[in-house]
Amino acid sequence: MNTFIAVIGILSALLFFYLLKFKASNKQTNRMNRPKWSKYIPYKDEEKKAKSEDADFPDK
Amino acid sequence: MSKHQALDTFGRSGNPIIRSSAFQETTTSGERMSLEGAVNKTGILLFLTVLSAAISWNFQSPLMSLVSMLGIFTGAIAAISTFGFYFFFVGWIINPRPHLAPKTGPIYAIGMGFMIGIISQQAEAMFPGIVIQAVSLTFFVAASLLFAYKTGIIRPTQNFVLMIFAATLGIFLTYFFSFMFSLFTGSSFSIFTDTGWMGIGISLFVVAIAALNLVLDFDIIEQADEQGAPKYMEWFGAMALVATLIWLYIEILRLLMKLRR
Repeated sequence: MNTFIAVIGILSALLFFYLLKFKASNKQTNRMNRPKWSKYIPYKDEEKKAKSEDADFPDK
Repeated sequence: MSKHQALDTFGRSGNPIIRSSAFQETTTSGERMSLEGAVNKTGILLFLTVLSAAISWNFQSPLMSLVSMLGIFTGAIAAISTFGFYFFFVGWIINPRPHLAPKTGPIYAIGMGFMIGIISQQAEAMFPGIVIQAVSLTFFVAASLLFAYKTGIIRPTQNFVLMIFAATLGIFLTYFFSFMFSLFTGSSFSIFTDTGWMGIGISLFVVAIAALNLVLDFDIIEQADEQGAPKYMEWFGAMALVATLIWLYIEILRLLMKLRR
């Protein structure tokens, strides 16, 4: 019994990592009511902060 | 030769459109995240979790218990510093800092691995074969939900996020109060330890909420990839996914233990 369950587990893990590589279907991505994660997770702000600061110009 | 040739040629623009944030978002040239990268990082973090779990499972000693306690502590700090800390009506007490994930992700995975090793070893001693069942069920649930997400069968919306977020916060607050209660009285809330239908029903509910949190993690990774998020978001997405998988595993283990009693 446990061998069967272990095989199911291994197959599920392989399927999990295989599916994770693919982009989601258009039905999932092309819709208006998707949650806006960048509102909660400030990765753009962090980047903007870094980018908005004037860079040093080490050309001289 | 200047690195910024456009500045040399045209000078700094005063045009508000060119200087706007929308323009900046499309012209940032740092390394972008990819789904492939997020998958690799998830694999690395899961490997680290399993490795430290195997160590704490095989080398049980008072020193290992201390190492595990330290692991849980550092794992919790790593998680809070990366995901932030939110409270009802108050808002973010600690803001999420996803750029820390490349450093905190491995610390979290190793720390939580030590905890999982000890919990799993004790569960296996009481109910032989239960760990294989719990691990298999965890990946089965994760793969099924990932399939449902990728094909668009489950489509998270703003209301869905709020519902899952509120339920998750509620569960963690109940766990926290149960933990505090047990520190003072020596016994935890009976609804968590109850092996009757009530206890099993609550465990099933918690498993369902943990599983639905996976859908949110998939959406975070997918959307960050679509928007060309910075490279560190691969680690952030992987860390979120591994954190939910660990939670789901523990809840499934707890449910199976209740069912076997």
